[in-house]
Amino acid sequence: MRISPYITQIELNAMSTADQSEQTALLQMTTGKRVNVDSDDPSAAAREVAIASQSGDCDQFLRSISSISSELQTADSALNSAVTALQRAITLGTEGANGTLSQQDRAALASEVQSISQQVMSVANLSYNGKYVFAGTADSQPPYVAAAGGIVYQGNGSVNQVEIETGQTIAVNQPGSELFSAAGASVFQALSDLASTLQSSSSTTDDIANATNEVSAAYNQLNSARTFYGSTLDQLNDSQTFLNSEQLQLTQQTSNLVGVDMNQAATNLANAETARNAALQAAASVGSLSLFNYLSTNSGTS
Amino acid sequence: MSSLLGTMSIAMGALGAQQAGLETTTNNIANLNTPGYTRERPVLEEADPIINGGIAYGTGVKLQTIQSLRDSILQLQISNETQQQGQSQAYVNAMSQTQTLFPDDTSGIGQQISSFFQSLNSLSTDPSNTALRESVLSAANGMASAFNGAANQLSAQRSSLDQNVEQAAGEVNQITQEIANINTKLASPSSTAQGYGSFLDQRDNLIQNLSGLIDVSVINDGTSITLTTKQGAPLVSDGQSFALSTALDPTSGVQHIYSQGTDITGKISAGELGGLLQARDQTLPSMQTQLDSLASGLVQALNTAQAQGFDLNGNPGGDLFTPVSGAGAAASMAVAITDPTLLAASSDGTPGSNGNLANLSAVANQAVSNGMTPTQAYGNVVFQAGSAVSDGTTELNASNTMLQQLQQQQASVSGVSLDEEASNLLLYQRAYQAAAQAISTVNQMLQTAIQMGSGA
Repeated sequence: MRISPYITQIELNAMSTADQSEQTALLQMTTGKRVNVDSDDPSAAAREVAIASQSGDCDQFLRSISSISSELQTADSALNSAVTALQRAITLGTEGANGTLSQQDRAALASEVQSISQQVMSVANLSYNGKYVFAGTADSQPPYVAAAGGIVYQGNGSVNQVEIETGQTIAVNQPGSELFSAAGASVFQALSDLASTLQSSSSTTDDIANATNEVSAAYNQLNSARTFYGSTLDQLNDSQTFLNSEQLQLTQQTSNLVGVDMNQAATNLANAETARNAALQAAASVGSLSLFNYLSTNSGTS
Repeated sequence: MSSLLGTMSIAMGALGAQQAGLETTTNNIANLNTPGYTRERPVLEEADPIINGGIAYGTGVKLQTIQSLRDSILQLQISNETQQQGQSQAYVNAMSQTQTLFPDDTSGIGQQISSFFQSLNSLSTDPSNTALRESVLSAANGMASAFNGAANQLSAQRSSLDQNVEQAAGEVNQITQEIANINTKLASPSSTAQGYGSFLDQRDNLIQNLSGLIDVSVINDGTSITLTTKQGAPLVSDGQSFALSTALDPTSGVQHIYSQGTDITGKISAGELGGLLQARDQTLPSMQTQLDSLASGLVQALNTAQAQGFDLNGNPGGDLFTPVSGAGAAASMAVAITDPTLLAASSDGTPGSNGNLANLSAVANQAVSNGMTPTQAYGNVVFQAGSAVSDGTTELNASNTMLQQLQQQQASVSGVSLDEEASNLLLYQRAYQAAAQAISTVNQMLQTAIQMGSGA
């Protein structure tokens, strides 16, 4: 069979194939990615869209957790000081119930109880970034105000939820109505009752003990309701750990999906270079082969 | 009985024949690098014998013709494969541009959709915060402009493909006219045997070029040649060419192609035109439709969620995006509000409530477009754009390999081999020398005979 005399065309085809593999290997090595355009692996590219979105969500959840955490910590430490203040009020009440105290001494205790009430009030009206943290969702104004009948709650009982992991939400506030003014355990009512009982000359030691018990009940309510903050912070901590490991996993997935195996790419590059050199060498040696070279110039005149 | 003069004439004929051989060989060598050149060879045959006294004397050689060595079946295969290659090449070129509009990671529509939903999560930690509300609006604007940008780019690509279609149709017309001209030359009686091969080469070349542009069916019965599209629209019939015309189709807004008044746009399946039309009329519109569906689905779902809540002033939420639907939704997607307080984050009218942000965020997991969530729907567009290029490239590579093989095969029939020509050159040279030697010998013999007669 007659073979194609156009060997150079075959060589050119071989060289262009080698060039292409060389370019691909080089691109993969410089970008570190196996999928540089969608067509490199369409289904990997489509999955990468989902992973990139999940990874962005993780980042966002971590940012949200960090901003919620600092608010919750502020609230928690404020509540801590309220609890300490209430403990002091109970001590004062117990002291007042001691029958040996003069009316003057009790009046002094009463005024300290009133100042504790002020202190707790300022905790209850704590604001963080311009919003009142114990007002439920009516957080644009102070939740506790002094009115004719005593201190009243003008916040609401609503709780906000924030998504902190995909599909998982967490409550991020405890309304004042659970902390300071729960039904039958109002901190301000109890403190006001204790102060007025101490102040009144007609109060018996039993009256004072009862008023102190009222404060104790409110204290217990506040102390148990505020555990919300501690446990929420724990949960946020757990989520943070989870999200960090999720983030790592997603990075790993991305790398498996669209990243390049550097060893493989380096080998591909070396192979492509070898193939191209071989093609070049073959082309160079083919060019010198021709029958014309072997016919002496004067062969026609012999 | 023969004569010396008869011998002389045989030798003269041989000189002529070998010279023709030399000429053909030299012509082959001269056209070594001429694209589309088909090697030629002299067809020699014995001259008719003279019968004299019951003995047949040979009268030498005569040049019957100069033959081009072409394989018409191979040429048809090459033409068919060229049509496939032209189609894949044009399609891959078009879609390679398109796929850059839909990146898979840190930019583009997908990233903007994620950013928007992430900004909602951020706002949920402090729903009355103006700065966070502003960043939701800015993420919403970013998402809308990503849709606008991609949709506008798709339209721009489509109109540039439209121009390419017009150009390609023009090139088809130019080539069919040239083919018709060559057919006229081939048919004319003044077309000499020498010019024949080169006209055929030119025509073969033109048919290959035409195959790169449009699907061609060649009917060649040896005397006349007819070219049509695969669907039968006439292109060339002997000396007559049939031009394609283009006209703006008001429904689709692009140029349609007409043959003899009939719209053949949907019937062109191969060549560059086939690839351009596939991208222009099928793939790009389908991607546009998907983008529109995703944009309108998102807008509708987010507006519905927004309407369930209350803004910072305690009023029920109005539209977050200007309502859009159907064709053009992606291109015209726009945020309807500029005042950040109008975001309906609250579920109960209090400014501190973030309850409705959960409804807005939930859209990220809702089926908003063809049963898919926003991110899935975008991923699907990425997949389609990528597959269009990668499938097209696979076909293109297959066509290229096939064409290379066919061209090698064709070259093995029609290609000029220098080695072969070198040996032919020697052969004709030797034969010419021998014939010249014969003439010289006969000449001496004639001289001897003349001297014999003069008695010297």
